[in-house]
Order: sequence, then C-alpha cells, then structure tokens
Amino acid sequence: MNCAECKEILVAYLEGLLAEPQKHAVTDHLKDCHSCQAEVKQLTNLRERLVSNGRAAAQSDLENEVLNRIVREQNVRLKAANKAGAALKLRRIIMKSSITRIAVAAAVLVVAALGVHYMMGPSVTFADVVKPILNARTLILDMIVGDEETGTVIHDIIVDQRIRRVISTQQHLVNIIDTENAKMCSLHTEGKIAVYSDIQGSLQEGTRDLVAFLREIITDVQDNPGFKAKELGEKEIDGQKVVGFSANGFTIWADAETALPVRIEVQSPLSAVFKNFQFNVPVEELESLVSMDVPDGYTEQKKVFDMTTSTEQDLVECLRIWAELLLDGNFPEAIGMTKIMSQLPQIEAKLAESVVSAEEGTQKGMTLGKGMLFVMGLKDHHYAGSGVKVGEADKAIFWYRPEDSENWRVIYGDLSVKDVTPENLPK
Amino acid sequence: MSETDKYYIERCLDGHPDDFRHIVRRYQAVLLAHLAGKLGSRDKAEEAAQESLVRAYFNMNKLNRPGSFFSWLLGIADRVAKENQRKEMLHRQREAIRSFSQEAASPELSQDYGLEAAIAELPESYRRVVLLRYYGGRSCSEVAEQLDMPLGTVTKTLSRAYATLRKSLQQPSETESYEVQK
Repeated sequence: MNCAECKEILVAYLEGLLAEPQKHAVTDHLKDCHSCQAEVKQLTNLRERLVSNGRAAAQSDLENEVLNRIVREQNVRLKAANKAGAALKLRRIIMKSSITRIAVAAAVLVVAALGVHYMMGPSVTFADVVKPILNARTLILDMIVGDEETGTVIHDIIVDQRIRRVISTQQHLVNIIDTENAKMCSLHTEGKIAVYSDIQGSLQEGTRDLVAFLREIITDVQDNPGFKAKELGEKEIDGQKVVGFSANGFTIWADAETALPVRIEVQSPLSAVFKNFQFNVPVEELESLVSMDVPDGYTEQKKVFDMTTSTEQDLVECLRIWAELLLDGNFPEAIGMTKIMSQLPQIEAKLAESVVSAEEGTQKGMTLGKGMLFVMGLKDHHYAGSGVKVGEADKAIFWYRPEDSENWRVIYGDLSVKDVTPENLPK
Repeated sequence: MSETDKYYIERCLDGHPDDFRHIVRRYQAVLLAHLAGKLGSRDKAEEAAQESLVRAYFNMNKLNRPGSFFSWLLGIADRVAKENQRKEMLHRQREAIRSFSQEAASPELSQDYGLEAAIAELPESYRRVVLLRYYGGRSCSEVAEQLDMPLGTVTKTLSRAYATLRKSLQQPSETESYEVQK
C-alpha cells in the first residue's frame, strides 16, 4: 500500500469501517510511514475536537423553550385567525342565544376552545387541577367575556345539571337553566315575572355546564396516555402562589398547594377569563337558587317561548323594534349581536318606558334576539339600513340569499320583503 | 426516539404537536453548532436555534419531502442567521453613527466557535455530513442512511471535509488576514 492509497481510506480506518485485510494493510503501512502517521495524528486531533464540541453542544436543552414558544406562537396565531375566520363560528355561537340569554354562549365558547392537547406538569399535575372540578357537585364562578376590566361578567352558580346565571349588564334578570330538560326560567326580579323558554337542540348543548365540560377534558387526557406535561411555572395571583398549565388556546392556573383552579383563561374562539371559583359549597345551600319553580310573589308568564327557531319575520320585527323603539324611526347604523349586547341597558330602559305589559316587553326582547339569531344563521347577507328611516319603501335595508335559492330576499325601509333576482340586487 | 423524521413530522401534522419534541431533541445540538459557527456566540446561537425550530414547526405543512427535513431545517437556520446578522449590522451601524465613530467594530468571533465557524463555511454537502456525524451523534452508516448515500461516499465526504477544515483552521480568519494586508 502506498501513501495515496492509505490516505484514501484513512477516515474509514479511523471510523472502524474497514474489513480485516484492508485494516491490516493500513496498520502495516502506518508502522513505517511517518508522513501517514502524522496525518493520522492530525486527523485524530481534529476528530477529537469535533467530538468534544459535539458533546458540548449536546449539553443544552432547547426542548421546553421551543415547545413553549410554539404554544405561545400558536395562541397568537389562533387569536389572529379567530378575528377573521372564526368570526362566523363566534357569530353562530353567540346567536344561538337570545337577547335575554346571551350567557348561554359561555359554555359553547369554552368547549370550542378545547380539544387540542392538555398537558400535565410534574409537581401539581393537570389531573390534580381538574379533579376538584371533576368531583365537584357545585361550582360557583365568574366568567368574563372580552377585556377583563371592561368585559361582560357572567356569574354562574352550578348545581349538578342546573345553572343559575346572572349577567353584569342585566343584574335584575336571573336565568335558571335546566340543561337536562332543555328548559330555561328567566326571573325578572323587578317586575316579579317568571318566563319559561324551551332551549332544545344546539342551545341546550351549548349550555352544558362547566362541570360536564371539564369532565370532557379529563376523558381527553385519559385517552391520551402518552401525553406529556407542559407546565408554565409558578407565579402569584393576588398573593396566591399558582402553577400554570397550558394547551393551545387554553390555560389553567391552580393553587400551587391545594391544586384548586384559581383562574382559567381561554384565548379562542373568544377571549375569556374564569375566576373567583368556589368548589363544593354544600348542595343544600344552593339548591333553592336553581329551582325551576315560580318563586313566591312572581307571576308566571303563560306563554312558553320557543327559542329554538327564528324566521325572516323575526328579523323584520327586530328591525322595526330597533328603529322605532330605540332610534326614533331610524334604522341602526349597523346590526349584530355585539351591538345589541353593548346596548342592553338602554334597550331595557326603552322597553320599560314604552310597553304596556310585561308580556309585551318580553316578547319584544325575545324578538330582538331572535331576529339577530336569524341573521347569524344566514350565509350571504348584507345590511344597508344606515341613514334610512322606517317607511322609505324605495330603499333596501337588508338582503340575504336563502339556502338553496337563486334569488335573494330583500327587506325595504317600509319593512316589506320581496324576492329579487341576483342581477336586480341593490348595489 | 428511533423513529424517522418523517414519522414525527406526520404525527405533528396529524394533530400531535407534542411529538415535535423528538425533532427538537434530535437536531438541537446540530443547529446550535451550525448557528454558533455563523453567529459566533452561544447565546445568539441558542436564540436562533429556537427561532429556527419554531419556524420549522409552523411551516411543516410546506415541506414536500419529510425525508429531507434536515436539509430543509438547515436552510431555515441559514435564513434566521442571515436575518440576525443583518439586524446586528444595522444595530452596529446605528451605534457607530451615534458615537460618531468612523470604525464600526466588526463582530468578534469567539475563539470557542472557530471550529463551528469553519464548518459553517463548508460546502453544503460536506456540512450536512459533519454536522450529523459529530453534533447529531450519528454513526457513519446512520448518516449514510439518513442522507441516502453509500457508506463509502460518507467517509470520502468526511475525508474532504477534514482537509478543508484543517486548511481553514490553520489560516487566520478572513477579517484578520484583511487587517494584515492593509
């Protein structure tokens, strides 16, 4: 073997990859060749340096940092995506409720935010954190939709399958929801009226209580045995030491010692915070609060409202009430549930001024909600009522295309409705 | 841990983002070495390695051949490094203007990463093999399998890579030689 041949296979030799005869040939050559010996020495030095640098690089652990960054980035992306794409989902969710029942959306929102991955931490585990909720027969909590300082607060008292729900913008309205039987009893504490409504279908599903919702999380985790922990570490909330667990779009902060959840943050499809939890208040103390019976001194509204369907006529009536009652005969600049939600107190006040009976008031409130519910169920629609007064028959204020229809339905300022072919649509 | 990149990538795309940790484990040292060589500091390399992995995660669906994940990842890391260098250069220029100094200090390459810097200068085909062999903890035959080349090609590539590395390690770095010539 000459030097060139030797150098050619020296790397394979050092890597121990040569077959015996070749290996011997190299060993023999090296015995007498100083130049090749020097080459081996140089190569060995370089390889040792590479090995040691490789080891040093292997020391660092980017795993947790990278996965945390992915979770954070995912949340940012979800938020952005939700602003645009999930608006429809959000609308649908919110619109399943009526004006007096906005809160039912709460549970749906939370459920929708789940279903990705839940992660367990080493000390206080995710399972520890959710166990109190899992086992709780009663649960009291606040859910804040939107900005934590200014958003609408939904206060829930949950007892088994029933929820007592009060919304911060409508303190005088108590909704008691029987999720098992798909019924809701709304108590107007000022007018002393009890209104019953049916909430079958998606409305009932959407109102499934939080306990059931959290049970789902547990099942999810149990179904994923390979599932690994993601801990957000510790921090303090109002002087309480808490430990955090995160999943996409969803974070739980729990007391570091008791493992009781302190705060749940949901980022999608709507930003919301759950806090002020109280677990397992004795059922006896709360039972009377979730009774579906007409309380003493209350009048029962004879008619049971059906919240499960909404029609074009509901929308027409909704627009009429909105314009005539609230805006002196002008159609609103824009329509939508958020708009109505933000104006709830004013709407209530106007209703109280103008209606003659409680029944009429409830009916109108329901109609407003159902009208918006109808809009949210539509795919193609457009509102153009800004600047139009009630009675202006030549001005189109709203048009939509019913499903499976070529033609559009157009509502005019006088609240008449006509079938219109696509080419004749208002511009 | 012995599953292929393809397997983990498909798992991630299939809704198991947690499996990305296997990818991170597999390539973190390689990325760190590669980026330390380019950026000259451990901290910058760690930051850039994280950034590269996060970008890789969010762009996985654009990866046509999951088998070529490693080369693709290196490409992302190159871009991240370039962006960082550009940012740093701008920063230095701004600093220089602020201090009315004529000479913008050139980035000082830490001695520790001379080797990695030399690796970063290697042709792509050499670099992949060296990185996988020494920073990815692979044997020659594993490298051959992953890069889909004969074992003989791996050792020959290594041999050429060593020669290039030795040459560039003997020479003073480019900036220094420039100084000398002046």
